Amino acid sequence: MPAISVKHLRKSYGDLRAVDDVNFDVEEGEVFALLGPNGAGKTTCIEVFEGFTRRDGGDVRVLGVDPGQRNDQRWLRNRIGVVLQELAVESFFTVRQVLERNAGFYPAPRPVDEVIELVGLREKADDKIKKLSGGQQRRLDVGLGIIGNPELLFLDEPTTGLDPAARRTTWELIRTLASEGTTVLLSSHYMDEVEALAQNVAVLARGHIVANGSPASLGGRDRGLVSIRFTLPHNVSVAELPITPSHVDGAAVEFKTDDDLAVLNHITNWAIQHNLSLMGLSVTRETLEDVYLALTHQASDQGEGVDHE
Amino acid sequence: MNERTDTSAHRNFAPADIRLVAHQVRYEQMAFWINRAGAIFTVGFSVLFLVLLGASAGNSRISYLGNIRLVQYYVPGFVAYGVMAACFDMLATILVVRRETGLLKRLRLSPLPTWVLLVSIFVSTMIVALVQVVLLLAIGRYGYAVSFPHAWAAFAVVLVVGIVSFSAIGVAFSTFIPNQESAGPITSAVFFVLLFLSGLWFPLNPKSGLAKFSNFFPVHHFIRAVDAPFKLQPGVSVWAWHDLFVVAIWGAVAFVIALRRFRWAPRRS
Repeated sequence: MPAISVKHLRKSYGDLRAVDDVNFDVEEGEVFALLGPNGAGKTTCIEVFEGFTRRDGGDVRVLGVDPGQRNDQRWLRNRIGVVLQELAVESFFTVRQVLERNAGFYPAPRPVDEVIELVGLREKADDKIKKLSGGQQRRLDVGLGIIGNPELLFLDEPTTGLDPAARRTTWELIRTLASEGTTVLLSSHYMDEVEALAQNVAVLARGHIVANGSPASLGGRDRGLVSIRFTLPHNVSVAELPITPSHVDGAAVEFKTDDDLAVLNHITNWAIQHNLSLMGLSVTRETLEDVYLALTHQASDQGEGVDHE
Repeated sequence: MNERTDTSAHRNFAPADIRLVAHQVRYEQMAFWINRAGAIFTVGFSVLFLVLLGASAGNSRISYLGNIRLVQYYVPGFVAYGVMAACFDMLATILVVRRETGLLKRLRLSPLPTWVLLVSIFVSTMIVALVQVVLLLAIGRYGYAVSFPHAWAAFAVVLVVGIVSFSAIGVAFSTFIPNQESAGPITSAVFFVLLFLSGLWFPLNPKSGLAKFSNFFPVHHFIRAVDAPFKLQPGVSVWAWHDLFVVAIWGAVAFVIALRRFRWAPRRS
């Protein structure tokens, strides 16, 4: 049984179609990422899974139950952990106080000291929360998310606004939790984060899933597309090229190919014969960032869906 | 289908939830007393106002209110203030701040049942109100020789109606405040203007135009309702039924508005 199963999920806010026909499964024990720009519908999806927002259509199962069912809500909330986008802790309490309070909400919480240790706040346990750094507060937030010893943890943009060192520490923490067997659904708009943490990713743009798979396989990257780019001299038009480029922007041209040697050979031969220089010639494999930007860009060009968040 | 059906934990009510209320009330109280700003603005203010006003003008007499000493008017007045400060001003402000900072949403997503959370907030608010009532009565009695209420039963009923009604008004009011920055200023501004118009500092002449205007709002009525059980005069009832009724109507309407408009998270932009 998948930890989360989503079929044809739809949710609108007024005229805004925040999520439109979204489908995916999150397997037990994996780190699954929802990737997309602001307004893509990530938070809406997560809120539906948490049972916070009522969906308009489709079928959703979280740990086997429908999160929209009131009767199962407490059962579900005993088993999930939630870390919201915004830091939500009372700054005048100490670290230990909020953890002890929230531990009291759950039937079988993790020991408070164990959580303090796990999120690396042992030295700060009796300090007021307002005295913690941004990264430390974020780790406390994750600590509150896992105090109930959840089977499934939702992390909504866990590292947004953190400095690079604090991001790394948060990543380590997420990896530790995953290695203990906790299923993690995280949302992010950072490619590197998804590459570093997730086994599977769904790319959301304007309420639609535009790609789905392992981070390495996204958008056909496993097929090894290579990008060859250069700028044409002034006196040469695009039509004179021996091969039609995949993309033209003024005099800048780009070829995307899985047979990079042949294309390169063809073009350089042509340039030498005509005594042309190809300025800024570069040969690069697409990064995940390129794939992501291309995917989400295409989706927004179609003008479907809407921004909300 | 799975173990869900066998465990008692999936029920939305369990006897253990009563213990959960006590647990949560304890932390609500800690939050109130640790966070000194809230404590000073409610408990500190009501006590300070009574002490200062009693010391400066307490012995003047009010010709249009049966020639009583002013401090005799201030004790019930500030008891009313204390209840309203806790249930309206404080409650509305903390609800907006918690809603806008995501604290309410986070609690909503924890297994803490909604009713436990709301009951705990209400009980905590009531404790803050009652602490003030006790302090104010003691200061009045031992500092300014103002007698305790003569009719304790009437006094208790007025407090209960006031605490419940103004809590409902506080919750309803919080739903109209857009963000946390304006929560404190808007609520306190509305509260203090109403207090002033309702004659908390300068008792209203019942025949004045201002009295007719403030008759529309619950604040003036609540002050009068709290005042009534203190009076021991032949032919004057210790029950201010009309005033109590107006307060309760406001409370009932606010309750309906609160139910319809209450939100757990900031409005999406």
